[in-house]
Amino acid sequence: MTPTAVAESPKSDNAENNLQPFFVLHKASSRKFERKSTGKTRRRIELSPSSPKISEKSEAEAAEEFDDQQYEHLRNEAFNYVWSKIESSIKDVLRNINIDVFNDIHRWVHESFAAICSCGMPDHNKVSCSYPIVTDALSKQLFTGLVFTKNMEFVDDLSTFEDLGLHLKSHGCHVANLSSLDFSTKNGIGGCLRGLLRQFLMVSLDAADISILASWYSEQRNYNSPLVVIIDDMERCCGSVLSEFILMLSEWVVKIPIILIMGVATTVDAPTSILPSNALQYLSPRKFNLGSPAERMDAVIEAVLVKQCSGFSVGHKVAIFLRNYFLKQDGTLTSFIRALKIAVVQHISMEPLSFILRGLHDEEDSQGLWSEKHALLPEMVFKQAFDLPSSRRNKLAEPNGEIWRHGLSELKRWQKLWSSVVLCLYEAGKCSKITMLDLYCESLDPKLYDSRASDHNSGLEKDFRMSSSDRCVLEQYPSLHKGGFIWQAIRKVRDLPAALLCQLLKSWEKHTEGHNEIHEKVKELQFLLKFEDGKCLKREMTDTSKRPTIRSNSNMEKDAKALNEKAAALIDDMVRNYMLPIECTPFHEIVCFRNVERLQSALIGDPRRTIQVDLLELHKFLKCCCCSKSGNIPLSSMHDTSILYMLAQEHGDLINLHDWYQSFKATMLHPSIKVKQRLKLSPSPKKRKDANESQNKSEASIQARFCRAATELQITGLLRMPSKRRPDYVQRVAFGL
Amino acid sequence: MEVNDVDEEEFGFSRNYFLAKELGTSGEKSTRKLADIDLVDEQELRTAASNIEPKHEKEIASLMNSYRSLYSKWVFELRCGFGLLMYGFGSKKALIEDFASTALTESAVVVINGYLHSINIKQVAIALAEVLWDQLKSQRKSSLGNLPKVQQPFNSRSMDDLLAFLDGPHMGVDECYICVVIHNIDGPGLRDSDTQQYIARIAACSHIRMVASLDHVNAPLLWDKKMVHTQFKWCWYHVPTFAPYKVEGIFFPLILAHGGTTQSVKTASIVLQSLTPNAQSVFKVLAEHQLANPDEEGMAINNLYTICRERFLVSSQTTLNSHLTEFKDHELVKTRRHSDGQDCLYIPLTTEALEKLVLEISQ
Repeated sequence: MTPTAVAESPKSDNAENNLQPFFVLHKASSRKFERKSTGKTRRRIELSPSSPKISEKSEAEAAEEFDDQQYEHLRNEAFNYVWSKIESSIKDVLRNINIDVFNDIHRWVHESFAAICSCGMPDHNKVSCSYPIVTDALSKQLFTGLVFTKNMEFVDDLSTFEDLGLHLKSHGCHVANLSSLDFSTKNGIGGCLRGLLRQFLMVSLDAADISILASWYSEQRNYNSPLVVIIDDMERCCGSVLSEFILMLSEWVVKIPIILIMGVATTVDAPTSILPSNALQYLSPRKFNLGSPAERMDAVIEAVLVKQCSGFSVGHKVAIFLRNYFLKQDGTLTSFIRALKIAVVQHISMEPLSFILRGLHDEEDSQGLWSEKHALLPEMVFKQAFDLPSSRRNKLAEPNGEIWRHGLSELKRWQKLWSSVVLCLYEAGKCSKITMLDLYCESLDPKLYDSRASDHNSGLEKDFRMSSSDRCVLEQYPSLHKGGFIWQAIRKVRDLPAALLCQLLKSWEKHTEGHNEIHEKVKELQFLLKFEDGKCLKREMTDTSKRPTIRSNSNMEKDAKALNEKAAALIDDMVRNYMLPIECTPFHEIVCFRNVERLQSALIGDPRRTIQVDLLELHKFLKCCCCSKSGNIPLSSMHDTSILYMLAQEHGDLINLHDWYQSFKATMLHPSIKVKQRLKLSPSPKKRKDANESQNKSEASIQARFCRAATELQITGLLRMPSKRRPDYVQRVAFGL
Repeated sequence: MEVNDVDEEEFGFSRNYFLAKELGTSGEKSTRKLADIDLVDEQELRTAASNIEPKHEKEIASLMNSYRSLYSKWVFELRCGFGLLMYGFGSKKALIEDFASTALTESAVVVINGYLHSINIKQVAIALAEVLWDQLKSQRKSSLGNLPKVQQPFNSRSMDDLLAFLDGPHMGVDECYICVVIHNIDGPGLRDSDTQQYIARIAACSHIRMVASLDHVNAPLLWDKKMVHTQFKWCWYHVPTFAPYKVEGIFFPLILAHGGTTQSVKTASIVLQSLTPNAQSVFKVLAEHQLANPDEEGMAINNLYTICRERFLVSSQTTLNSHLTEFKDHELVKTRRHSDGQDCLYIPLTTEALEKLVLEISQ
């Protein structure tokens, strides 16, 4: 089957297929499985060091063998591992953020359902009559939950509403998720009804009718639980269709206990601005609030990049890019996640050693499987690893397995320390609303670290013990990038009241677990604090009996202050000694993605600019010697469309076709002379000779080239064709890059 | 600093715009007419256009070749769930088809020619479902699983069902996908928002991977954030090829061909062949009339309606009008005032061209 399928596959110049709206280029070949399996067995043989084969092979050959097939498999594995880790931890984070609201909503749904039922439970027998008879206006009320997303970007909330649907489903509700696309004028009320029936009944019907839903609901197994309809972005719905939908539901609510949940991006008056009053009167609304995008962003950064759920991390520049992309350009968590995924893919496909990520991170794997796998790593992997700039910079000794293993475990250790310190800082900065995103970016900056380190060395001799009278302790730490977020966080520690400090130390204790050197110090501080508290308590108790003295009060303040100073000194010490940015550790290239240009170009295409640059600077891409000298003057050797577009730059927003053509023709015939002059001068005898030489460029061919170039500009959208009103002009579309 | 850069850029942009505006309005505006050029005959122009000697062939070939080293990376990205979006100047048709037929042999590849004017996205979805079904069947065979019977042929299913099939989990088959190649995803046949929504939904299906090319500078405006981030999941690639847009440009009128008013036989026949047989027959009635009465200004609509009704081509004036609207949109038919004051229809082609066209569509 395979060979015929391949043979049938048409060549790209097949004219027949070019005019088909669509066609099958080729079917899947079944070679996939065969090749995969052979590849695997062969690899095993070649990889095993005990096999004599590998020693016989030349190194380069072995390297190549390793490169091609094995990497493909390992890379896929690494990507699947890393991304599934990241994805699931993002899911967990978002679920945790939303869980309270979801529970509230669930409770409310059940209350509402009970309220509907108390008005008269839908009756089996009545369902069969075609239209419910409702007399009581109250029983027409439609319970409506308005979920405020605090986010104009509805993309971020799509998954939230999906999750909400799943949450309610898991608690026994019937749920249908509709989107604004279902409420379009084009499809009308039938569209959303079809959507409802599709999701509740799992059938698609052409003739959508709500009585079908009613009779479905009356079936025994569907009975006794509420029907929840979730509309994720109410403001994008067509108002008239939505109001019609609401009116219809309110008529039927006694038979079908439907509860509406609508996502609202703006404010509480959004429904009033969309719906007419006759629909509004049937809504009995309840408000719910979701977390803001910045909150979610911080939680995701913390879980994915600071706590490093997957072992993958990004460099400082990439972090800054991601931050700016989120804050200034796109503003959605969804886009951030996509950017992160692109970063993972780019990293794994670019960095040959990145497949180690999995073994490096997976604890169980690293004990058993990993060491075994590692033993199979051929020499050349070591070579590559010790060739990494970071390990060369650190002048590691002769490459051997021991150093390699040590290096990797050090990398892991530093990463964990770094993440603990960042988390401690975050806790400290929480009160002054320092976001994780900012803190994270700053903590990754290798330059700041270098300046901190150099400062530390020079200041080693200084006495670091602080006197409590020293009011400007932090003046001693000029390296802390004054005004930076880390600096702010540390300063905050100094001003914290005792109760909050106690909380902070508790959280530090949690975050520093596993790092004995810091953990001990935190404990010590905690002990001191408790001791102080005890003293205070004692003093207070004695103070109540005796008269309080001003001195003891000021003493107390002083003592408390001293504790704050100590805590600040501790966190400063942690920042200085343990918060090593990933880019400063050896072997970091393996786990750390740093190529910001790659990420940017894959994430944000900029066709408007790039296509123009393609045309104006084509010699950069074609790398020909004939066109590169010209500067901005069009030459006849250039691509026709390029010439035409360059010439178009000389015109205003309207281009006279005649002039344009003449200058194009002139360029084609006499490349070296300035276009404008030639337009007016009649050709001199010498030029005429030139013209004779290039007679093969007949008038027709030049006109044809002109036409095709204009068509190509039209395809790229850089040109608008002559209109009836202006038959002799074309219109420029883009001005400047 | 960054902010300044942006400001600077913005300022440059607006300055450029106003400079261009000024150039256009003030100063001596050139009033030369297109007719001043000694235009060659359209037929000759078309022949010349098809025989244009390419420039920089060698460099273009090596540029194309240089992209081959990216193929494995592209495959990896597709496998990771991304879509590939190729942009940059030049036709990317050959590049993408070469990529698909050399690097994507493990999955079926369906190509959509977005540069054509009439593409029925539902038909595409049906074809995709059929291809996927075949692929699932052949893979099941090798893994000894059994596939449930198809309850309903694909071409009678609704779009939602088709999408559900393309997206749905199919037990026992992991990582089975078909690759959809779309040339000119911003092309005229795909440009409307409904079609883009459907394409996005197709792209989001778990058994679909998409490779598309984009040529229009404003194409990203077709998509909202939901489509870009959650459905298409594009990985952008700047791959200028500088190859001529041969097929993509077929349907554009030549700018020097008398202001683009006359249609060539070729484009007209392609448009006609994409229409229903009835519509073609209606066109033929009009063409026959025009050929029989070359001196008349055209055919009255009532006249046309009577004949078409007699031949059972249309059942009502509305159907005829819808056919006529289609013809007019493609500039196959025009109206003008008859000498007796009535509006009449005519085909803007010469007698010879019309004869040729009738021959071509009768085949």
